[in-house]
Amino acid sequence: MKKTITRLLAAMLTSTMLLGVMAGCKKKDEIKTFEMFIAMPGTELSEGNKAQDKLAELYGAKIKETWLTGQTAEEAIGVMVAAGEYPDMIEASDGYQMMVDAGALIPIDKYWDKYPNIKNYLSEAEWNMCRKEDGHIYAIPQFGIVNERDTSTLVNGEAWWIQTRVLKWAGYPEVVTIDDYFKLIGDYAAANPTHVDGTSVIPFTILCEDWRYYCLENPPFFLAGYPNDGSVIVEPDTATVVDYNTIPIAKQYFQKLNEEYKNGIVDPESFTQSYDEYISKISTGRILGFVDQFWNFGFTAMDAIKAANLEGCTYVPLGIVANDGIVEQYNNEPALDVSGGFSITTSCKDIDGAMKLVNDLLSEEAQTIRFWGLKDVDYKVDADGLFYRTPEMRTMSVDANYKADNLCPYAYLPQYEGMSLDGINAWRPANQSSEFFEDLAPEVKECFEAYGAKTYVEMLNPTKPSKPWFPMWSYSNDLTTETEGGLVWVTMGEVKHEYLPKVVIADDFEAAWDEYMQVYSERCDIDVFLADMQAEVDRRISVAEGN
Amino acid sequence: MSQLNLDLKPKMDLAARTAAENEPKKKRRRKKILMGDLIFTIVNTLLLSLMVVVTLYPILNTLAVSFNDGLDALRGGIYLIPRTFSLKNYKTVLQMNNLLIGARNSVLRTAIAAILHLGLTALLAYVLSVKEFVFKKPVSLFYVMTMYVNAGLIPTFLLFKSLNLTNSFLVYIIPGMIAAFNLLVLRTYMSSLPSSLRESAQIDGANHLTIFWKIYCPICKPVFATIALFIAVWHWSSWFDNMIYNRSNSELTTLQYELMKLLSSVSSQTSSGSAYGNTTQSVAITPTSIRAAATIVTSMPIVILYPFLQRYFVTGLTIGGVKE
Amino acid sequence: MEYNGHPLLTKGCDAAVSDKDNDMLKTEDKQPKKAATKDAAAIERLGVAAYRRASVQPTSTPVADDLGGKKRRFGHSDAEPKVKITRRTLYRQRELIYITIPFILYGLLFYYVPLGGWLMAFQNYKPQLGLLGSEFVGLKYFKQIFGDKVFLGVIRNTLMMGIINLVLSFGFAIGFALLLNEVRLKHPKKFVQTVSYLPHFLSWIIVTGIVRDMLSMQSGIVNEILVNIGIFDQPVNFFANKDYFWWIVGFSNVWKETGWNSIIYLAAITAINPEMYEAASLDGAGRFGKMWHVTLPGIKSTIFILLLMNLGNVLNVGFEIQYLLGNDLIRSVSETIDIYVLKWGISQANFSIGTAAGIFKSVVSIVLIFLANSAAKSAGEERLF
Repeated sequence: MKKTITRLLAAMLTSTMLLGVMAGCKKKDEIKTFEMFIAMPGTELSEGNKAQDKLAELYGAKIKETWLTGQTAEEAIGVMVAAGEYPDMIEASDGYQMMVDAGALIPIDKYWDKYPNIKNYLSEAEWNMCRKEDGHIYAIPQFGIVNERDTSTLVNGEAWWIQTRVLKWAGYPEVVTIDDYFKLIGDYAAANPTHVDGTSVIPFTILCEDWRYYCLENPPFFLAGYPNDGSVIVEPDTATVVDYNTIPIAKQYFQKLNEEYKNGIVDPESFTQSYDEYISKISTGRILGFVDQFWNFGFTAMDAIKAANLEGCTYVPLGIVANDGIVEQYNNEPALDVSGGFSITTSCKDIDGAMKLVNDLLSEEAQTIRFWGLKDVDYKVDADGLFYRTPEMRTMSVDANYKADNLCPYAYLPQYEGMSLDGINAWRPANQSSEFFEDLAPEVKECFEAYGAKTYVEMLNPTKPSKPWFPMWSYSNDLTTETEGGLVWVTMGEVKHEYLPKVVIADDFEAAWDEYMQVYSERCDIDVFLADMQAEVDRRISVAEGN
Repeated sequence: MSQLNLDLKPKMDLAARTAAENEPKKKRRRKKILMGDLIFTIVNTLLLSLMVVVTLYPILNTLAVSFNDGLDALRGGIYLIPRTFSLKNYKTVLQMNNLLIGARNSVLRTAIAAILHLGLTALLAYVLSVKEFVFKKPVSLFYVMTMYVNAGLIPTFLLFKSLNLTNSFLVYIIPGMIAAFNLLVLRTYMSSLPSSLRESAQIDGANHLTIFWKIYCPICKPVFATIALFIAVWHWSSWFDNMIYNRSNSELTTLQYELMKLLSSVSSQTSSGSAYGNTTQSVAITPTSIRAAATIVTSMPIVILYPFLQRYFVTGLTIGGVKE
Repeated sequence: MEYNGHPLLTKGCDAAVSDKDNDMLKTEDKQPKKAATKDAAAIERLGVAAYRRASVQPTSTPVADDLGGKKRRFGHSDAEPKVKITRRTLYRQRELIYITIPFILYGLLFYYVPLGGWLMAFQNYKPQLGLLGSEFVGLKYFKQIFGDKVFLGVIRNTLMMGIINLVLSFGFAIGFALLLNEVRLKHPKKFVQTVSYLPHFLSWIIVTGIVRDMLSMQSGIVNEILVNIGIFDQPVNFFANKDYFWWIVGFSNVWKETGWNSIIYLAAITAINPEMYEAASLDGAGRFGKMWHVTLPGIKSTIFILLLMNLGNVLNVGFEIQYLLGNDLIRSVSETIDIYVLKWGISQANFSIGTAAGIFKSVVSIVLIFLANSAAKSAGEERLF
């Protein structure tokens, strides 16, 4: 017995040493390395990533990114702040305010004079929106900064999704109201109750898991024709905030769901399914329609449907409203989120080096390497300077291992969206319309044609210019229970989580709705919340006007 | 039971002696026992078979999913055999960053902790199993309480930082050396050994360390094997300390932490709307399928290690389980 | 002092044997058998002949209870020696004390010093201000927790799930260990045991996925079986009904941990003296009888100590499984203290309210432990300290 153990130990030690030797072989380099922590989950790049090395070669520095794992951002940042030790650069996410309060970030505006790419990255008015109370800028927003024009081809936001086979079966009808929508999928399900795999079709499902319950709770403001401000409706003309939970359209919407639940149109597992189950269900192609934001299902379930060649099961977006005469507004401009961003910390020993790197990485050349990859490896250029990819390149670009070894988007560093700085190409392959069409399934092309659209985006009304307060969710997301308004906001979520599913499955809708409304008004002092939101709307307007 | 308690001789004698008066009763009784044993064996076999099926099926299912194409698996309906066979999930898991360094550190911390923690815990358990030891109670209480109090993340972090344990391999080894649970299990076992064992050695002039090493350790082998397994499994599967204390040093990374990073990055890829969604080529890995492969990969080493330790259990079991 | 007197029985054996059995065993001991195992042989070689004798020989006089006259057990019960702390005992036990000192220092440093962090619960803790600089708010966070009606429901849920888990996990682990111990064939036994501990290595996220699959309305095997044998007319949505949730959690725990938890009992079973079984055979006990009258009592001390320990953990039912299996329809029965803390803490940097809830759980645990321990003491059973 002793022998076995000794042998086991010996074997373990030997293999360990071997591993150690193999792991120990690393080459030295003179390239500066900055550490960056991103308080979001993400993928670490491999050692020796090609695009990263190229960028390092060009600019003499690289960034080692580490990501949030199994913790909340506050916890991760909280520990750093308590210990007073930070990485060189950080995207602090929900811990941003904590970092600012701790004095852990350097004021970008003190250092930016030598770095025009940074200084000119936003307009004066936009930079003003980023300033903290002391007048300094501690974070650079990375997203929603559009160069020239928005080039989105996908509806990344919310919509009422429907399978093309349903539209095709009905001869591509005009679907405008919520009644039209349910009548259409109800009729289709009655006529075609069996899915290709032999199971029965599920006409409509609702995801209601944790924070993803927006699929159930937020359609009222879309149905009423307002954009995705998230927590409230803001009347565009008067700039006054309105609670969408109690408007008549909200009741009409939930009553409709209740009716359809009783009709067997709404999936009985709607309120008990997990996100994974929801995705699996959609992946089978059994679901005819649902409300969701594209990023929540598009890159898993839609791809599964494509991969399985389920003809007619691809989803296209519809801009459904409550009643005729309401104009839908599902599309919106990319939003500038000023509640945080990329920061450099006081622990960084080479602030100028860091600023220079950020500045360099905003150049046209760097942007192309970050989002397209290496020329002739990840993309090719045609005679007109238009970038394109071969099918092999396209395949490689979605391979997780390939990405980790070869592509280096530095996604949480400042970047331009919309058009590339060369003015010819889109900022990334997915937005390049030639690339987009290459990929489109015939059924989707046919459907687009029937509705006179060229992209998913054009299935919905064109974007309207955003109002200065848009989006209000960037404020309500940061609300904490330390403020009165925040406390109400959290309680509203509680009540809605508990009562909305009950209302939908209630035998007696009216009674359930009344109970919900009563509890809602008792537990949530909605005026406090609205006053809070109104103050923020007013503040944003005045900032935008340059005060 | 009571009836036979009076019989003082071994079976054969007894049967002969009582044959005359008890013969028919005995036979019936023995038969009854045999019948009872048979029924017991059948019921037992059935129950354990049921348990095996209930336990094994989901694991085999996980195995099947891990060998299946990720997107295809989303459609459900995979039972014991992969539908679209693919090694992609394993490829992704095994191409993970820092695999070798992580494996080295995981093996090292597991081996060192299992030996060191077991040894120290056993020593303290021995001391506490000495019945006449005056501080037995307060010291036991002192460690029992540690099971129920938790200082929280930040104070612990600050302590480790001031002890220079952060950014160091030692943070895997030094804290949590004495787990109260293991201590109590060992103490209970040791105090169930006859105290004469210790006393006679003491009379011969042995000191406590010698007694612990020479007498208690050999006897306690089965329970040591068990506790070593507990410690090893805990260390093998922990990653949180890695993330909190050694996040930025990839030389100190462990396998589990690398895996956690992989898992959380896979979910973020599929939910953050990354740049490369719009393509006919399937991404082919999904959180579910990667999770399945990761589960299989990480449990492997322990599954392999277990039979070595199980030998001790089996040795132990024959002591108690087999009649002569 | 007792250790100088008559050798005591080991508790493992003692518990199983009535006085009459003891007499019988004593007689049997006169015909010594050859050592059955290596371990026993090793002990013999060590010259500790007392081992075998001690392990089967009873005290000459059963200790009677002073109060009720009922039978007393040995070991940790009040038969334990009462040692006065005198200079002489301290000197005699100096070696033990020297060994203990480093352990106490270690424990203080690593387990007790960080408890200074409990101050956070009484502060509006901000990491940037630190423990010394944060504003004191007294009992604000405790008041906030206990002032919330929802929290009482949360305590109920936590407690109920804790109790259900405790009962089920004990019952199943002990039952499994007993049954497995009865398997005579070596390979099947090894196989069953190896299979049984596998689920321990699956993370909760996998296990809850499995549980959801099994109980699913549309394809779950449980619904299929129940409908086919006619218990239900149509598939039941288990996760929509508040009555089922705690049990689903309890049985998920059973599935995941039964094999693992049983390891400790299986090891304890190895410590049972084989002669006990022979004695029981002589008594005419069948296999079930032996399992019931010898094996089970033989691991009683292990069971007791684990029970005591886990009583203190009854509020630690975690959050992952409830979070992963719960949904909005049954939120009122699925929310645990940990989930509550996470939910409220997450929107406000967590630390103070999390610490307050942690203190609450610790206090409840310690109270429970002391109660259970003194109950065990007055019942004369095995106890923690």
